[in-house]
Amino acid sequence: MEETKNMTAERSLEIITQQIAQSRHAVSKVTGQSLFISGICTMCMAVVIAIINFILINHAIVGLGHLLWLVLPIVIWLFSRKYNKERAHAPVDIVGSLVAKTWSTFAWFVIGFFVIALIWGFVAARVLPIESWAATQIKVTPVIVLLMGMAITITGHILKQRWLVIFGTAAGLICFIWEHFGMGQTIVLMLSGEPHLSLSAHAATTMLPCLTIFVFALVGLMLPGLMLKRQK
Amino acid sequence: MFPTLDPLLHSELRLAVMSLLVSTEEAEFPYIKEQTEATAGNLSVQIDKLSAAGYIEVEKTFKGKKPCTICRITPTGLKAFEDYIQALKTYLNIGK
Repeated sequence: MEETKNMTAERSLEIITQQIAQSRHAVSKVTGQSLFISGICTMCMAVVIAIINFILINHAIVGLGHLLWLVLPIVIWLFSRKYNKERAHAPVDIVGSLVAKTWSTFAWFVIGFFVIALIWGFVAARVLPIESWAATQIKVTPVIVLLMGMAITITGHILKQRWLVIFGTAAGLICFIWEHFGMGQTIVLMLSGEPHLSLSAHAATTMLPCLTIFVFALVGLMLPGLMLKRQK
Repeated sequence: MFPTLDPLLHSELRLAVMSLLVSTEEAEFPYIKEQTEATAGNLSVQIDKLSAAGYIEVEKTFKGKKPCTICRITPTGLKAFEDYIQALKTYLNIGK
């Protein structure tokens, strides 16, 4: 592009439109790539944790694999550094910035809540009798899926995608009820027809939170990421 | 009577730079160069002109060990850009 002073009004308008569109496209691509990488990492982590939990439950250790969720932000950061090189020079626009802030707020709340729940579980196990401990245990998954549903809904509003808004709200609330009231366990119990969960049924229920997060990451992170990356 | 178009903005490259910065919070020099397809020397001169007029602010910093130039639009620049668009509208007959 060279210095031209005798521009027509039409040419001026063309330059403005072209540059704004080009810039939006570049920014959308970078934001999309970040969402896509986060989605893939979360889905892979859900699978890994489900496998670890399945193996551990055979050794009578329940849900220890969930501690690996704390490593997820580092995994996402490492993969973003490796596969999102365009981000190095790309600017930040209001849409990209809002989406990034929504998900970083979600991440901080989840990490904070997870750590609080862990500390409380550790302290309560030492202080309270076993019956009270079970009753006062903080359920992590329902709150995480509720927060994730909120983050997806806000992302949908920012990107002006109604399907994301509907999915985020509906899935967030339904999965919260499902996880909070242990509906998965109830259904497994009803199907097995036994008063207590067998080892394999218990293994299945400990893997349900991973399945929920897998689906949320697929629809809330990976699909919007792919959509932004392919936006013309 | 047509209003006068801001001579500082009525240049292809400077207008392209301003249009890029309007839609972003800030942009690095290599990104602007890539998007406008301008030469580094020419772009540098035009950025200096916009900066001298107070339309953009230029921050020279380091990214690791590499020097990095970041440009962002100022409120003065935004106002000038809006005025330019308003003036353009009258030329294109789409304004009041």
